[in-house]
Amino acid sequence: MNEAIHFMRWPLLACLLLPGLLVYLGLHVIQREIIFVDLALAQVAALGTCVAILLGHEPNAWQAYALSLGFTLVGAVIFTVTRPKDRRVPQEALIGIVYVVAAAAALVLLSYSVHGDEELRRTLVGEILLVGAGDLGKAVAVFALVGALHYVFRNQFVALSFGPNPPTHAALWDFIFYLLFGVVVSSFVGVGGVLLTFSYLIIPAVCGSLLGKSLAAQLCVGWLVAVIGSVCGLAVSYAADWPTGAAIVCALGLALVVVSVYKRAFGRA
Amino acid sequence: MNRQIILITASALVTICAHAKLNVVATTADLAAIARAIGGEEIEVTALAKPSEDPHFVTPKPSYIAKLNRADALIEGGAELELGWLPPLLDAARNPKLALGALGRIQASSAVNLLEVPTTLDRSRGDIHALGNPHFMTDPLNAKAVAELITARFAALAPEKAETFKLNLTQFNAHLDSKLEQWKKLLKPFAGRRVVAYHNTWPYFARRFDLKIDLFLEPKPGIPPTPAHLSDVIARMKAENIKVVLVEPYQNRKTAERVAAETGAVVVDFCQFPGGLKGTEGGYIELLDYLVTTLAKAFETTERQ
Repeated sequence: MNEAIHFMRWPLLACLLLPGLLVYLGLHVIQREIIFVDLALAQVAALGTCVAILLGHEPNAWQAYALSLGFTLVGAVIFTVTRPKDRRVPQEALIGIVYVVAAAAALVLLSYSVHGDEELRRTLVGEILLVGAGDLGKAVAVFALVGALHYVFRNQFVALSFGPNPPTHAALWDFIFYLLFGVVVSSFVGVGGVLLTFSYLIIPAVCGSLLGKSLAAQLCVGWLVAVIGSVCGLAVSYAADWPTGAAIVCALGLALVVVSVYKRAFGRA
Repeated sequence: MNRQIILITASALVTICAHAKLNVVATTADLAAIARAIGGEEIEVTALAKPSEDPHFVTPKPSYIAKLNRADALIEGGAELELGWLPPLLDAARNPKLALGALGRIQASSAVNLLEVPTTLDRSRGDIHALGNPHFMTDPLNAKAVAELITARFAALAPEKAETFKLNLTQFNAHLDSKLEQWKKLLKPFAGRRVVAYHNTWPYFARRFDLKIDLFLEPKPGIPPTPAHLSDVIARMKAENIKVVLVEPYQNRKTAERVAAETGAVVVDFCQFPGGLKGTEGGYIELLDYLVTTLAKAFETTERQ
C-alpha cells in the first residue's frame, strides 16, 4: 500500500488537483452542448506542437508551447465566430470538422517526422504515470490562473453558458471562454492525453447533472466522482499493472454506470 | 540469552544475504537472455519491453517502476535505444544503485563499437541516433562483448559468486563460437546478397554474415513508407533481382507483403529479441539460430523459383 502511494504519488496528486477545474468547465461544455470542443481544441493545439517539431524544436521547448498556444487562439476565434445563428448547421458539426481536419493535418505533418505514429498514440493515451514534479507544477500554475479568472468573472461566464440573459459583449466573453478552455485542455493533454482529458471533462459533469439541481450541487457530485474514479483507477492500474490513463478512464466510465443505476432506482425524473 | 538471540539473528542474516539472488532488470529480452546465461541460478532476471514490442517505444506500466526500484542491476542497450521511455521511469523509481556511473547500471553499448555514428546531427534525416545504430546485439561477437561486460559487473556486485559467473561466460562463449562457425557456413553460399528490410535494424548482422541489408521500406529511419519511396524500392528490387524482405513483429507486414507481391520476393519474419517469434524463446543463441536458418531457407527457395 505504502509502496503504491510512493510510486504513484505524482500521478495521484495530478489526478486529485487538476480535474477540479476540468469538472467545472465540463458543466459549461455540457450546458452549451459543445461536448467535443475539447477534443477539437486539443487537436488544434497538438497541430501547433507538430508544426514546432517540424521546424526543429523539441516538443517541450518554449517555441512549441508558443505555437500550440497560437493555434489554440485561432481555434478559439473559429468557435467564437461560428456560434450558431443559423440552426441548420449545428455547432457540433463544425467542432467535428475542426477536429478531423486538425487530426488529418497532424497526420500529414508527422509523416515527415520520426515515429510520428507513436507520437500521435502518445498524445492520445498520454503518460499520466510518468508525470513529474516539474510538469505537474506547470500545469497547476496554469490551472490556478485560469481558475482564478473564472472565479473573478464568474457572473459573465455563468450567464454566458447557463443564461437566461447573456452578458454584454457576449462575443468577447465567448472568445475568452474558448481561449482559457483551450489553454487548460492543451496543458492537461500534455500530462494525461486526450482520452483522459475528455473523460475528466465530461463524465463527472454528466454524473453531476444527473444527480444535482443547482450548479454548486452538480459541481460537488462531479468532484466526488472525479476523486473516487481517479483513486480507484490508479489503484487498479497499480494492482493489475494496467496502463494508468486507460484504467482511470474505465473507472470513470464505471462510476457513470453506478450513478445512472442509482438514479434509475432512487431518483425521480 | 539476549546475546545468543542476536548472534543467531546475525548469522541468519548473513546466510540470507549470501543466498540472496541478484535482482536484475533488463530493458529488452535479448539482454535479459544474456544475463540469464551468465547469472544462471544466482540471479532473478526480468525484461521490461515485451519481445514483440518496439524497443524505441514501450508503454510504461506501474510495475516497471516497482521493478526498477527493487533492482540491484539494470542492463540497458544504451546508445539512445530506450531514450523515449527509460529516463522518466528511472526518475520515478529513485534507485541509487541504478544511477549513471553506478556499478549496477550496465550499458551494453559501452562494450561495443557502434556503426553509423553520424558526423553531423540533423533531425530531418529521420531517427538518427547521435551515438550510432543501437541494434548491435544482432552480431554474435557484439553479444560476446556484452556478455563479458555483464559478467564483470555481476562479479563486482556479488563477488562470492564470481567464479560461477566466469564459468557460465566460458560456456556461453564456447557454445556461441561453435554455433557461429555453423551459421557462417550456412550463409556462405549467399555471401554478398542484397536484402531489403523494413527498418535499418540489421547492419551488424549483415556485416558479420557478409550480406547487404541496406535497402529499407522506410524512406528514412522511423518514417512510415511513402508511395514514391516504395516504388523506388520495387524498381531496385526488380533491377537487382532482390528476393527477400525482412519484417519485424511490430512493423507493418502488409507493406512488406505488397512489395513482395510486386517483385516476386518472399517476406521473412525477423526479430531482434528472443520470444518475439515462435521458436526463438530459448535464448540468444536459439534466436540467432532461427534467424540464420530462416534466412538461408528463404535464399534457397527463392533461388529455385
